[in-house]
Amino acid sequence: MKLETHARNTWCPGCGNFGILRALKNTVAKLIDDGVDPGRMVVSSGIGCHGKIADYVAVPSFHVIHGRVPPFLTGVKLANPELITVGFAGDGDALNEGMEHLIHSAKRNSDITIFLHNNGVFSLTTGQATSTSPRGFRGRSTPYGNPEDPLNPCALMIVSGATFVARGYAGNVKKLEWVMYEAIKHRGFSFVEILQPCVIFNNTWKLYNEKVDWIDESSSDPEEALKLSKIGDRIPAGIFLKKEKDVYEDVIEKPEKMDISSFLDKF
Amino acid sequence: MDYNVCIAGAAGDGVRGGSVILGRVFSSLGYDVFVYQEYQSLIRGGHNAGVVRASEKKVHSHRFEYDAFICMRDYVFEIHKKRIKGFVLHDSAFECDHPDTYSVPMTDMVKERKLSPIFRNAVALGAMCYLSGISIEILKDVFKREYGKKAEPDLVLADDGYRYAEEQYDPVREIGKIGDRRPVMAGNDLIAGGLVQGGLECYYAYPMTPSSSILHLLARQKLAITVHPESEISAIMMAIGSAYAGKRSAVGTSGGGFALMAESVSLAGMAEVPVVIVEAQRSGPSTGMATYTAQQDLYFVLYPAHGEFPLIVASPLTVEDAFYLSGELLNLAWKFQTPAILLTDKHLSESYETVSIEPDRVHKEEPEIVAMSDGIFKRYEVTESGVSPMAVPPAIVKANSNEHDEYGITTDDAEIAERMYSKRMRKETGIRKTIEKLEPYRIEGDGDTTLITWGSTYGAVVEAGIESGFKVVGIRYLRPLILPELEGDVISIECNYSGLLANLIEKETGKEVKRILRWDGRPFTPDELKRKMEEIQ
Repeated sequence: MKLETHARNTWCPGCGNFGILRALKNTVAKLIDDGVDPGRMVVSSGIGCHGKIADYVAVPSFHVIHGRVPPFLTGVKLANPELITVGFAGDGDALNEGMEHLIHSAKRNSDITIFLHNNGVFSLTTGQATSTSPRGFRGRSTPYGNPEDPLNPCALMIVSGATFVARGYAGNVKKLEWVMYEAIKHRGFSFVEILQPCVIFNNTWKLYNEKVDWIDESSSDPEEALKLSKIGDRIPAGIFLKKEKDVYEDVIEKPEKMDISSFLDKF
Repeated sequence: MDYNVCIAGAAGDGVRGGSVILGRVFSSLGYDVFVYQEYQSLIRGGHNAGVVRASEKKVHSHRFEYDAFICMRDYVFEIHKKRIKGFVLHDSAFECDHPDTYSVPMTDMVKERKLSPIFRNAVALGAMCYLSGISIEILKDVFKREYGKKAEPDLVLADDGYRYAEEQYDPVREIGKIGDRRPVMAGNDLIAGGLVQGGLECYYAYPMTPSSSILHLLARQKLAITVHPESEISAIMMAIGSAYAGKRSAVGTSGGGFALMAESVSLAGMAEVPVVIVEAQRSGPSTGMATYTAQQDLYFVLYPAHGEFPLIVASPLTVEDAFYLSGELLNLAWKFQTPAILLTDKHLSESYETVSIEPDRVHKEEPEIVAMSDGIFKRYEVTESGVSPMAVPPAIVKANSNEHDEYGITTDDAEIAERMYSKRMRKETGIRKTIEKLEPYRIEGDGDTTLITWGSTYGAVVEAGIESGFKVVGIRYLRPLILPELEGDVISIECNYSGLLANLIEKETGKEVKRILRWDGRPFTPDELKRKMEEIQ
């Protein structure tokens, strides 16, 4: 099965997104080996550099609009529960505009997966601060330093009710593949923050190569998971939270076929 | 026989429910019924009113003047006083300054039965049936149909009210049975029904008056997957997701919520995703008067979003029309793979009418949909009609908000962009041709002067216009706008300030159009319209 498309890749040389794309393709290949029809795997992406990933892999996809990947995928899943719904979002895309959807999808425990390409900057719009840019970050909209503190995406998702929360790093494709595969296999809302260096506007390769520690520990307790995900001097990566919970698409009321004349007769 | 009854009180007095019950009583006797409801944006207190009109002829409107007034609170009498031409039935707890009153101790009777004051409406309806010469059994049957086993308190109190009136008074009228019972339904009930009949499988909506009852009905009756998500944006994105996966989907909202959906409407246009949007207008701008009617959103709905893309907009003329048009729009959206908007208004969505629906006039038309592909499916193949073969996963179908090639892959190539954009826009030709063969407008009556209107206003206009010897035109499809030959004087009647349809007709025909307009949140009644037409002529 050829996973390449005829799209020309337009990411910058050295972009962290290449590692994510490679991990995705390897994960899809592994799922195909498991017997999954690649036509069942629906990919969606938002607006930003990450969004181009939909063009680069030959599975069904919908490159939607800024921040709206989670409700799109929920609609797909509700319409056809046989489909595997995999979303890609940027930090600006999911945490600035679209935050409401991310939180509510976690709260619903919708059976979708969100891979958040966290590069800490709006890159495609040429370098402005996002919700995850550090305080003091000098972007084009904050030329004298970002006056706001960054959000912690994993902590946000843990407290919002996500049932699978992980952090990956674009610089370790093998480990990222493992996290991706587990996230997609998880029944319920899976969230993976992927640390993604942007070579032009926020080059974090060196920082992450030095500071990221992969951990094997995982918990089914959100309190415990919060501790595991905590960023201090070191940046932990791995699966912090994995727990079982009713899936939204399973528990929602299913339509009952009703003849239109018996419907009219109710009035 | 043409009987116009108003019941008014506070929110929580069962005025709205009571007016529908009374409407169903008249419908059980074979009359044509129209029920208008006016209520404020509050939960308890304030002023609510329902006007129930029963007639031997088909009516799509209530009348301005009341033959009977049921008064549930002393302070609402003043609001309606000028319109009362017949008798007043009121709670003995207060007096009404009117020459012809019938007092019934509603509050005392409810207390005696140790029931909540909300049941006073049952006493009132019981007494009303007696005064109108209607058997109590008819009312009891309606209560039983409506509330099932929970109807007991209503049945007891309706009896109490009927017996009291029987002991004290003579009937004012003798309203006999002239035919069989027919359903009495609100516009929103039939929008839901029409969508389901047109193949709806998923409905997403964030509550907003006056669209919410579509959401409530579909959820309660489990007629579709029904979700109330975090916002209107989420609602339409879920609908786009479900439609992409092959399920017919719709959303419902009012102007404010539709504003939030605009970006996604453009997405559906670009990615050629069929989705139906119900926009039920209320008085704006902004929050405006949340529970009052208007026809102010026409231009907003005709051109709601950035970029150019084919869009179908239609507005039902009557409660029954809402059923047929909703189903039709769902079919058109799927046939042309583009968004379609049903533009309705509070007066149509929340008013009730006796209906005789022919369900078979609406059926799901199935376009060919591929669900398998060898490699990436050419979802956006350039065709003469602009309509490309449709596919859903597990076919490898790639959709895109960016300009894209025939396979759905992003492009900024000038030549491809030119071809893809014109491919989409060419669908407008087919849309126009198809709608020309449907019913783009409705013409009634004959006269030198034409009254032209759209949406719920048609109900009052058709009645007043025909009686006064005018030709009446109701526009159903607003995009594409297809007009009949307009000769002689043309008067446009609308619930907005500038005559939004009138402006379009002037632009289209070069003809000067006179206007009868109101923008006070209230619908026209035939009586008021006749007076206005005399003034303008």
